[in-house]
Amino acid sequence: MIATPIQTRQGTARAESDIGGAAIEARGLRRTFADGVEAVRGIDLSVAHGEIFGFLGPNGAGKTTTVRMLCTLLAPSGGRARVAGADIARRPERVRERIGVALQEIGLDPLQSARELLELQCGLYGMDRAGARGRSAELLELVGLLDAAERRTGTFSGGMKRRLDLATALVHAPRVLFLDEPTTGLDPASRLTIWEEVRRINAQGTTVFLTTQYLEEADRLCGRVAIVDGGEIVASGAPHDLKAALEPEVARPTLDDVFLRVTGRRLEGVGVEEGERS
Amino acid sequence: MSDVLLLARRAVREVWRLPDGTVPTLFLPLFFLAVNVGQISRSFPSRTPFLHGQGYVGFQLPVSIMLGVCTATTGFALVNDIERGYLDKLLLSPVRRSAIIYGRLAADLVRGVASSSVVLAFAVLVFGVRVRSGVGGAVVLVALAALWGMASAGLAMIVALRTRSVQATSASFLLFFPLLFMAPTYVPFDRLTPLMEPIARANPVSYVIEGLRSLVLEGWVPSKLAACAAVILATGLVLIALSVRAIEAYDR
Repeated sequence: MIATPIQTRQGTARAESDIGGAAIEARGLRRTFADGVEAVRGIDLSVAHGEIFGFLGPNGAGKTTTVRMLCTLLAPSGGRARVAGADIARRPERVRERIGVALQEIGLDPLQSARELLELQCGLYGMDRAGARGRSAELLELVGLLDAAERRTGTFSGGMKRRLDLATALVHAPRVLFLDEPTTGLDPASRLTIWEEVRRINAQGTTVFLTTQYLEEADRLCGRVAIVDGGEIVASGAPHDLKAALEPEVARPTLDDVFLRVTGRRLEGVGVEEGERS
Repeated sequence: MSDVLLLARRAVREVWRLPDGTVPTLFLPLFFLAVNVGQISRSFPSRTPFLHGQGYVGFQLPVSIMLGVCTATTGFALVNDIERGYLDKLLLSPVRRSAIIYGRLAADLVRGVASSSVVLAFAVLVFGVRVRSGVGGAVVLVALAALWGMASAGLAMIVALRTRSVQATSASFLLFFPLLFMAPTYVPFDRLTPLMEPIARANPVSYVIEGLRSLVLEGWVPSKLAACAAVILATGLVLIALSVRAIEAYDR
């Protein structure tokens, strides 16, 4: 049996209700779609300023739906949440001014060049033309795309698109950055580049909320994770603590072992390689 | 306003960079113009009273121009943005959702001006049509046609936002077909059958055709132009308002 610190959904709610002034705070967040599917069934979470918080779970667990609600793209069916100091339902425009988002589906216009897209994005956040030009060049350099600035994004590789998408999420130096499966489909080298970028962005004070189905990614990047399954958080805590709670029953436990313990099954197809376990 | 201009610039750039979206829409009006004139013009020589001394091509020209500007291209562009995830990117920015609709309409205006100018030039250069109201009338003709294209684009945008489907958006364009042909398309109101005439008179699209046609055949006829402008304005207000409502309700 797992002792502390693996917390149940109810336990997490109690523990986290005491956290004040969090970067992200959700209580009883729910979403039921028109076809009756309950994608999210009462999520409680609290993410402190400056954290990299991992939202871990298999496909269909409710990760993306949760992110879309927290980003104001999707209205919750119930519950409430505050992101970057503003209520997602009452002040969605305020939330949008303060967050950056790179969704799982890369949102780029293939007919525009990288520079045009970034300048448009800067303009939408109220920058004047000179400011937009300068910020775009800065971000293109940051994500290593300065040489490809005039190329239409339709000609970009998957890794380049992901980096540009990340750059578009950063134009206004957001307080909270949402990354929805930022490395899905990327080769190992591109994945490492994104990880480095996420660490660098976080080091500058940006809170990062990252969803992933890669255990290794959560383990390496996140200070805390919440494991979500069937639209509910089934465990949360620091990866090290979650794993340590399984010892000595399980030798060298992984987050997959934690997932197995709390759900009774493994995260399909995304287990950590043996060599990467330590 | 600056948000609308930024989004309009992007949408207009798309018109030039994706000629596939505009060029095929020119085929239908040019084809209809050539075929209709080829088949019917001998039945209506220029001495026919309702032609005001012009060839039958002048009577058909406004119908062809309207065929060119009524497209689902903007609806397709919205569906593409939805499928690529780019609409989400725009919705995540702090701009008003309505700005996304208004920006898209700018592209329709540009596309409408280009399309109606090409059809008009074709009619003038190939068939020798003379616009009775002169150069100023030709400019007003192109402007009204482009505004009609912009106003009617709202329908495809509503369907695109509600269904997120290319097929349904494509089918929305077909709704204009009966409206365009249950009108004084080939002959004036008083030559229609007793069954068709009241239908045509109740069809608002008839008055857009009549207004544009008056510029070609008759010169400046304020009553017809006023009716034409009123229908364009009313259609635009209703369909654009519904488009804005559809994007406000998107994923809500």
